[in-house]
Amino acid sequence: MSAPGPLRLVLVDDHRLVRSGVRSELAALAGGVEVVGEAGDVDEAVAVVTATAPDVVLLDVHLPGGDGGGGAEVLRRCAGLTTAAGTPVRVLALSVSDAADDVIAVVRAGARGYVTKTISGPDLLAALRRIADGDAVFSPRLAGFVLDAFGAAAGDVATTDEELDRLSAREREVMRLIARGYAYKEVARELVISVKTVETHVSAVLRKLQLSSRHELTRWAADRRLL
Amino acid sequence: MTTTAAPAAERDAGSACPPRPPLERAGSGRWLGGVACGVAAHLGAPVAAVRVVFAGLALAGGAGVVGYVLLWALLRPAAEADTEGAAEDGGPRRARWSPADGAGGQLVAGVALLAVGATALAQRAGLPVSPGAVASACVALAGAFVVWEQLDAGDRDRWLARAGGGAADGGPRLLVGVLLAAAGVVLLALRGEDTSVLRPVVASVAAVLAGTGLLLAPWAVRFAAELRAERAARVREAERAEMAAHLHDSVLQTLALIQRSSADPAAVTTLARAQERELRAWLYGGGPDAAGRSLATAVRAEVAAVEEAHGVPVEVVVVGDRPLGRPEEALVQALREAVLNAVRHGAAPVQVYVEAGASEVEAFVRDHGAGVDLDAVPPDRLGLRESVLGRMARAGGSAAVRPAPGGGTEVSLRLGPVQEPR
Repeated sequence: MSAPGPLRLVLVDDHRLVRSGVRSELAALAGGVEVVGEAGDVDEAVAVVTATAPDVVLLDVHLPGGDGGGGAEVLRRCAGLTTAAGTPVRVLALSVSDAADDVIAVVRAGARGYVTKTISGPDLLAALRRIADGDAVFSPRLAGFVLDAFGAAAGDVATTDEELDRLSAREREVMRLIARGYAYKEVARELVISVKTVETHVSAVLRKLQLSSRHELTRWAADRRLL
Repeated sequence: MTTTAAPAAERDAGSACPPRPPLERAGSGRWLGGVACGVAAHLGAPVAAVRVVFAGLALAGGAGVVGYVLLWALLRPAAEADTEGAAEDGGPRRARWSPADGAGGQLVAGVALLAVGATALAQRAGLPVSPGAVASACVALAGAFVVWEQLDAGDRDRWLARAGGGAADGGPRLLVGVLLAAAGVVLLALRGEDTSVLRPVVASVAAVLAGTGLLLAPWAVRFAAELRAERAARVREAERAEMAAHLHDSVLQTLALIQRSSADPAAVTTLARAQERELRAWLYGGGPDAAGRSLATAVRAEVAAVEEAHGVPVEVVVVGDRPLGRPEEALVQALREAVLNAVRHGAAPVQVYVEAGASEVEAFVRDHGAGVDLDAVPPDRLGLRESVLGRMARAGGSAAVRPAPGGGTEVSLRLGPVQEPR
């Protein structure tokens, strides 16, 4: 767990109902999350995030306003912001969309994870904590997408960790277990490694997802239109 | 190509004559009114010879012209021939003002020929008719006609209502018509004058027309843009209507059901889940009609059916895909049994993961129930052992059941190169 004190959160979603729902759910869980701001469109989000510098931004993928870039535009315009404690402002993407290109757009723009709006309250809380600690949050669907996009099913495995366009054998194994519905703790137990190591692998995969120039990434997303 | 147009083309290619066709004006291969072609087709003579005869008679006192015009007026035009095809066949073409039906071109040619013939006859009779005057009047008439003819009835209404503007693609023809009319008027005005006066006048008229064109250009452009916008709006409206119809049939009905069954949380969840899946399929493709064509769609369809029947959410992740052969079908059926088992005896969330590689398929079904010990399975739960393990074995694959770390059970299925599944 990260720094003492409540986790400072900004909610960005153009649906007031979703915002109030998340807010009340987090309050009911008493999980030490303080909502310090809300925003309903791109410009508002940039202003609120810049002003409050929260630990985590829960960002809707589809957002009106700005130049029409949605959540990815907020990420680009808020890039490089840091909290009072000096850690970067981290973003968890939230979406009802299954369209891979939407999700990939925000992840490549810098979001450290992706969850759907059907996520349960405790799971959301755990995901927010993980994001605040600088780890990545991969849902089974995102893991499945990564495996597909990097051609892992076809046995296309990297031989060194430095390769950006392919997953290493261990990263692939971690992604597969997450896609099978394993929590990080369960992945760690299954592979007989520490949870911290699992998190390291997941973060490495996130980095590859963000930096890889693998052209299949976007083409695959466009072809399948599914996660 | 229709039967009436065929003979002309065949003769062009030098082939044998077909049975004699009826005497009618040809729709294709013609130069003017299609009379020569029609006659040639009827007589089985080369069209060039017929044309030479007509031309010779016309030069010898105008009889050819009169005959041509009479034939043109009396003969029925051939049934609408495939004029585009005829053009590709290389049939000679000239003076086609209206590619849409060819009637305009025939009319223009006819009027011109009629005028020439009438002039010749009048002069022969000693009447003081100047050929120049008739020619200029004809040109003016032809211009006016072309302008009028190229507007269809709807355009004509709009033309009258808005005092200007035809369809955007009619622009060049409109211009030609206007120019012809203007030229005719100039010629009429200059009748009897020396032709040397003509050049500056034509130049000035051209300048005026060019100026008018420039003045009208922005208006024309705006009009075309408006037309495009209107068309786009119509398309959008159609799309919106389709979407509204779909939402009404699906989402609104479901919302009504949810309101009525608000006291039953399980029913609400099931309804919402089913509707969500349906809407997703509609929005992102790969809908129910695509089911069964590939492993991925078959897996999704089977899991969706189980989910709907039992009201327990099941998340499916499929990586890769392959055609649905017999072994894959067996795997899908085994997977379905495993999911059913997880839904009945395990606890949510149930997670399904299918990975279709180049040579093998792996599938995992994981639940969060109390777990299962296959050796201690009661007889009523033979389903798992028989329908999952047995089915996979018969399909040349393998299956295993084991407790998942962190609770629950995981069933793993494998097709392809034989190897103990983990």
